[in-house]
This record gives sequence, C-alpha cells and structure tokens, in this order.
Amino acid sequence: MADSKILIRIDPDLEELIPGFLGNRANDVTKLREALTRNDLLTIRNIGHSLKGVGGGYGFIRLSELGAELEQAAKENNPIPLAALIQQLSEYLSRIVVEYG
Amino acid sequence: MNAQNDAATGSTGSQYRILVVDDDAEIRDLLSVWLRRAGLGVDTAESGPDALTQIAHTKPDLIITDLIMGAMSGIDLLTEVHQDNPLLPVILLSGRAQIPDAVRATHLGSSAFLTKPADEKELLSVVQKVLRLGGERDKVRRVFANMLTYQSPCMAQLLQRAELVAETDVTVLIAGATGTGKEMIAKAIHLAGSRREYPFVAVNCGAIPEQLLESELFGHEKGAFTGAHVRHEGLFKAADGGTLFLDEIGDMPLALQAKLLRVLQDFTVRPVGSVKNYPVNVRIISATHRDLEHLVREQQFREDLFYRLRVVPLDMPTLAERREDIPLLVTQFLEQFFRRNGGAQKHFSPDALEVLVTAPWPGNIRQLNNVVDMCATLCKTATIPLSQVRSALQDRPAELQTLKEARQAFERNYLITALRLTHGNVANAARIAGRNRTEFYKLLSVHDIEAAAFRGENADQ
Repeated sequence: MADSKILIRIDPDLEELIPGFLGNRANDVTKLREALTRNDLLTIRNIGHSLKGVGGGYGFIRLSELGAELEQAAKENNPIPLAALIQQLSEYLSRIVVEYG
Repeated sequence: MNAQNDAATGSTGSQYRILVVDDDAEIRDLLSVWLRRAGLGVDTAESGPDALTQIAHTKPDLIITDLIMGAMSGIDLLTEVHQDNPLLPVILLSGRAQIPDAVRATHLGSSAFLTKPADEKELLSVVQKVLRLGGERDKVRRVFANMLTYQSPCMAQLLQRAELVAETDVTVLIAGATGTGKEMIAKAIHLAGSRREYPFVAVNCGAIPEQLLESELFGHEKGAFTGAHVRHEGLFKAADGGTLFLDEIGDMPLALQAKLLRVLQDFTVRPVGSVKNYPVNVRIISATHRDLEHLVREQQFREDLFYRLRVVPLDMPTLAERREDIPLLVTQFLEQFFRRNGGAQKHFSPDALEVLVTAPWPGNIRQLNNVVDMCATLCKTATIPLSQVRSALQDRPAELQTLKEARQAFERNYLITALRLTHGNVANAARIAGRNRTEFYKLLSVHDIEAAAFRGENADQ
C-alpha cells in the first residue's frame, strides 16, 4: 500500500498557497537528505521545527508530526531514526492528493 | 457632537489592522489568510526591524510576532514597541515554548503567548479577546462620548489612548495646564472601566497642609495625634475598589511621596499611629500642571514614584491648541447654564463667538466656562454681543493662572486696550506704552495682534 494515494481535504482559502507550500516541502526533503549525509543535525532540527510549525496549520497534520519527530531526534543528537523519518516524509509527500472544500 | 468616526464602531473588525511578524513566509501567509477571512486587515513583516518600520506607518491595533527570529527576538520587539506605545497589544507565537519565555513575556506585558503549530480557532479567539471586538469597547466609547465634547484631532488622539487605558487597571498620569479638564478625563476613565460601580475619590494634594495630607490619604487611629478624637479611614480606604484621583501630585511633599510609593508597591496602607497595614484595592490616576520631569531633575519629586505613576502618560492639550472645539464647548456650556438656572436660552453673536474662538484662554476650558456663564448671567438680550464677551474676558479670575500666564494675559490685554484707545494707531499706542514702535510691533507679533483690526472700531465697546 506504500504507493496508494492519501486524500487531504484543504481549506479552499489556502488553495493559492498550497502548490508553493508543497514545492517547499519537496525542497525540505532534498535539504534534509543533504544535511543527513553531512551529519548536520542543526539543519535537520530547524527544518523539523518549521515543518512542525506550519504542517497542521495548512491542513497536513502528518507533516507536523514528522517534523516534531525529526526535531526531537536531532535535538537529542540521535541520528538513528533520521533516515527512516526523511523517507517517510518523502513517501507521504508523493502520495498526497489535495482536494479543496 | 463628538467627532467619533466610524473606526470606533467596527463590529466586524474590518477597521482593525494586525501586523504579523515572522521570518517564515509560510506562517505569515497562513496567519494572513485566517485573519483576513475573520474580517481583519493584515500587514506582514519578516523581522523585528522591518516590523518597527511598518508600525510607524501602518499603526496596527495588534501585533502577532514569532518569538525566535533573527537578531531581534519577539521579546526584543515587544520591549521596543512598548517603549513608544505601552498599550499596543502584542501576541507572541512560539514553536519552542519554554515556560520561562512565556513567564517573561507575560511579565513584559504581552497580551498572550501561543504555541506553534498554530491553531486557527485558538488564534482568532485570542485576537478577538485582545481587540475586545465585543461590547466592552463600545461601552467605553459611549462613556467618553457623553462626558467629553470635542472635534479636534488632538483630543481624538488623546481620548483614543484614554479609552484603551480605561479598560485596564494601569496607573495613569495626566499632565496639563490648569483648567484643561484633567479631572474630567480621570472621571471618564473611571466610569468607563470595570471599577465604575465603586467610588471615584478626588483629592487635591496641593490644597491640604502636609501634616493633614498623610492622615487624609492613609487615615489615622484614634489618638494618633492631638485632635485625633476618632479613627479616620482615609481616602485610600474610601476609594477601595474604585479610583483615587491624586490631583496636583507635583505639590506632594517629598516625605509623603516615599509613603505613597510604598502603597503603590504593595497596595497596603498604614494609618497614622497604627502598627498594622491594611490592604487596599485602588486604581491610581494622578494629575499635575507642573513639569514632573523637571521636578525629578531638581530632586523635588522622587524618580521612582514618577515612573510608577506615569505608566501611561496623557498630555492634555490647552484650549488654544484645540480652538476648533470652542464653538462646541460654548454651545454645551450655554445649554448647561440654562438647564441649571432656567430662563430663555441665549446665544452669542457671530463676532462675539469669533472673539471667543480666538481669545488666548490662559485659564483654558474652566475659564471659557466661567466667561460663558458670566455672559449668560449678565446679558439681558437674547443675543450676547461682542462687548459683553470683551468685558467678561477682561474680568478674568487671576487664581486660574501661573505668574507667567498672568503676565502674558496682562500684556495682551494691555496691548489691546492701548490699541483700542488709539483706534489702532501704533505710534500713539507705543507712546502710551512707553516703547518705541519697533518694540511695540514685536510685542504685537508675539501676541498675534493686528493693529489694523482696531482702526475704525468704537473705543467704547
């Protein structure tokens, strides 16, 4: 079921913002992967932090959850779960289908 | 009668402007969408310095700021904003909610502390509460509209501030010349606020001898001093739950200032001759016609007390600074006079009103009220003529003025009299005054008097 779609219902007032928002998340995944190869936990923590802050507000609660987990692990200097979390984030983003209303 | 513009009534809130400050564009965009669909105006800034520049231009009613962003944090911004505008509400929004931050922010006067991820309902409910979009604000406006008459922008600006103050319990210092209506504003603040059901007690600190003032304010025990036959509660106690208005605070002796400071610090009073402190719940509004900052520099007024009293300063304009209000005030005073005293309503002739509008008014509104009352009393016709106003203006009660004001007023009247006697002939008027023409012209210019206005005028008027 890893490639099945996830339907997310989004506030129509946010419609204009969503393509840019999702584009930024794709960039986040790239930056997170690069940071992980450098073992740059501070960048991971910051990206996780801002994901946590914006995800739920835009209607993607799962993004806030993943962001919080990334932030927490990086903060505790624990790189072990990071690769799996970044993978989950990437898969989640690729499965999202947005519906406005 | 008041120039209450419709910004006052906006129940939909569309006139309110909110400044959203966050270094994250996505948070700014999201908050903007939420706030705009709630009918609020939104501006955004991406840093503290950017916010400060915008505040000066857009004059927001509320700031929502991120806590951690760049060199200037949300707390820094809050502190900076409140230096110029202590009443501007600031909501802090933080992703890394640390209890000490929240405590510190509250201590520094933030209106609310919210955590990210932001929640639309929570945010809007806090915003509505902070802006008090409900009825409380309207009630405050009604009290002010009923009590104060104005159309001048300077009064509108002052009262906007006073209305905000009325909804809080902050300590207010009203500065202004004699007769500008300091007590009226204090009373309006009291009646518009939550203490309205409790007493408003006014005391003139300059009118009571030093020895008596302490026991007047704090009370005394029976037998505390010779003549203290009965226990006296004191004005702090009398105002409990309400407002104590300390007029002419600049005249309070230094020894008593120290005692007042202690009361303001722990809100307990110790009556003269008592060993016990009693708690009091009183809002303090003080007023003075003196330059307290100058008195502080001269060490005649305690600096610590000054800052504690002047949490929010309100500067009353003189009547000369709000001349556009004079016709409204004259109408109001005439109506009040005839309501009080009966008789047929009178009105001022156009030239008489013109003189009222342009007179120097060193005694401010109180003097205007006296002049209107005097004219209404003495005039036997329905229209009060120019001559009546002139004679009332010269019959100015001296106790209303400082020496400097009295000197200026005397000089002005002297110049006018000299010009009237000489029908506007400057050379002759200067001779009477014992000055040369150049000096005399200078004096006329200082007082904004046109000699030409007196040419052809009947000297008997």
